[in-house]
Amino acid sequence: MGIKTYEEMNELEIDILKEIGSIGGGNAATALSSMLNAKVNMSLPKVEILDFNEALNNVGDPEEVVAAILVEMSGELGGIMLFILTKQFSDEILFRMLGKTQADFFELEEIDSSVLMEIGNIVISSYITAMSSLVNMSVDLSVPQLAVNMLGGIMSVPIAMMGQHSDRIMMITGEFKIDGKALNSNMLLLPDVESLNVLMRKLGVE
Amino acid sequence: MEKKISVGIADMKMTRQEGVLITYALGSCIGVSFYDPMIKLGALLHIMLPEKSGAKDGNVYKFADTGIRETLRKLSAFGATKSRMVCKIAGGAKMFEMKGGGGLGNIGERNAQNVKRILMSEGLRVSSEDVGANYARTMLLDVATGQVYIRSAGRPEKVL
Repeated sequence: MGIKTYEEMNELEIDILKEIGSIGGGNAATALSSMLNAKVNMSLPKVEILDFNEALNNVGDPEEVVAAILVEMSGELGGIMLFILTKQFSDEILFRMLGKTQADFFELEEIDSSVLMEIGNIVISSYITAMSSLVNMSVDLSVPQLAVNMLGGIMSVPIAMMGQHSDRIMMITGEFKIDGKALNSNMLLLPDVESLNVLMRKLGVE
Repeated sequence: MEKKISVGIADMKMTRQEGVLITYALGSCIGVSFYDPMIKLGALLHIMLPEKSGAKDGNVYKFADTGIRETLRKLSAFGATKSRMVCKIAGGAKMFEMKGGGGLGNIGERNAQNVKRILMSEGLRVSSEDVGANYARTMLLDVATGQVYIRSAGRPEKVL
């Protein structure tokens, strides 16, 4: 059987994805918490199936400059994982990790970029590790990449990847809070359609 | 600049005489502007991928090949002539330095090449371009003057 488009997913299947997002996100929050030595929570995950323009506007203003760490997933589960940080969130991290108060977002020093990249890497890998052990699927991760640029340009990467075969993308999203402050970050898990079939089969849903 | 008309991803809009067509934050996507100065007719197309290649979905503006052809068809229906047409392109950036090849890393570059190839096969010349590098661009076409502007984060706005 299996599905060919995201829209064919039923409520039960969406709930399962939420659960996966919440376990992955919880683990990522714990990792971030120990790195920053602060209390970190993750919001309840949302599962959304949106067309390209909705997806973009849903994440934020396309011209806003953000930092993003991207990891490509392959193996039994394919897709993209993106960790998007606004300037506010990035400043908070750089302050907590390096004691910096004024980092120039456009001209980040090498140390700043490495810190953001490493935070992204740890957050994403803890998310994926929790998820892959939960569903018992092996997921290979690419080397993480950092970009600081307009949100729209960054989102064009997953959109182009999913776009060849679909008019929509699926996002499993969650937001971090550091010491109770929401600082506009976003964890986006964007699985491809084929992987969702593998996932549901593995979990015995069908 | 009044009357802004926004062009989404995998979308095309056209207008004549006045108004500004704008498409935000082109990353690996390409914005193609078409302008016939004689009748002040302009179109802005935002494509995402180089070729339709067997994909069976209906959105023609998603792909360079089908998007450009459909735009030209519409423009000519409104009286534009290829010999007067001025085309400019922007976008095709490589937002992330993807390692290990894969189709995703160089999608911007493939988009740019294909857009140029298709325009050439239609007998159109790209009069100026701002493509590649690693940053996103917002593209505006002022239909009253035919001027194309490029806006990017942390860089001064420029006229294409």
